Amino acid sequence: MIAYELMILYRLMPKPELRTALKRTSETIFQKGGIIRKLENLGTRDLPFKISVHGVVYNKADYFLFEFNAPPSSIASLFDEYIRDVDVVRRRLYKKTEPVGFECTLDNEMKPPPYRNDVLNLIEQAKSQQGKPKFEYNTNLDHYPFQK
Amino acid sequence: MSLILRRLTARFQTGNLIVRTCSTDKDAPEFDMENPFEKEKLQCVLCKHKIEADYKNVKLLSQFQSPYTGRIYGKHITGLCTKQQELVEKEIVKAQSAGLMGTYVKDPHFFEDPELFNADKPIRPHRF
Repeated sequence: MIAYELMILYRLMPKPELRTALKRTSETIFQKGGIIRKLENLGTRDLPFKISVHGVVYNKADYFLFEFNAPPSSIASLFDEYIRDVDVVRRRLYKKTEPVGFECTLDNEMKPPPYRNDVLNLIEQAKSQQGKPKFEYNTNLDHYPFQK
Repeated sequence: MSLILRRLTARFQTGNLIVRTCSTDKDAPEFDMENPFEKEKLQCVLCKHKIEADYKNVKLLSQFQSPYTGRIYGKHITGLCTKQQELVEKEIVKAQSAGLMGTYVKDPHFFEDPELFNADKPIRPHRF
């Protein structure tokens, strides 16, 4: 199972209602055969832009973050289920990303063009002539039979 | 005749005798050492401090956003390496989509944040 992050925004509700809404979202994950690893409350915040869902415009929301493992086949239905929940303002599912190891190439990028790797690659590509189709008449003749 | 022979033999003898060796010369420079004057490698801000852009870290991401238009600055302004710039842009789009970050405005709470770069002095000239 793959680790996912669910960023879910609820409309402002009193605590007991919010609790039931949270339970609903977590139970849908369990129903699809998932395991919740972490539930984080990111607080009540002003939305950076107004969001209109279910015929209502929202300017504030309760931010929650779920981290869970679930089979990838269930993700589409999960995503669909949450938007049908009237309390949910917005939901986004992201795969949990592992840090990728790479080396900083800024030093090379700051060099003058003929020393940069990306420019050198371009020059090499042009030299090799790869991917440059040459037109052929397919006449099995070594010359062009008609007047040009 | 004998004089010429004597001279030739003398020359051969001296030719054999002159042997120059550098092994005894302690002050001779070692040429297989690394260049001591090589400059330190340039690194971008995020690579230097080993920071990974994350869509939940809005405070960091909004530093790469214009306070006037809310647009993401290009790498000729931010001074990030290609890979980091790509990652930052990806995470900003994710944050905007999740409703954490504005698309047209920068959060006014982050206006006082320290500047990582000067937008008026890009590393390479603007294309417009």
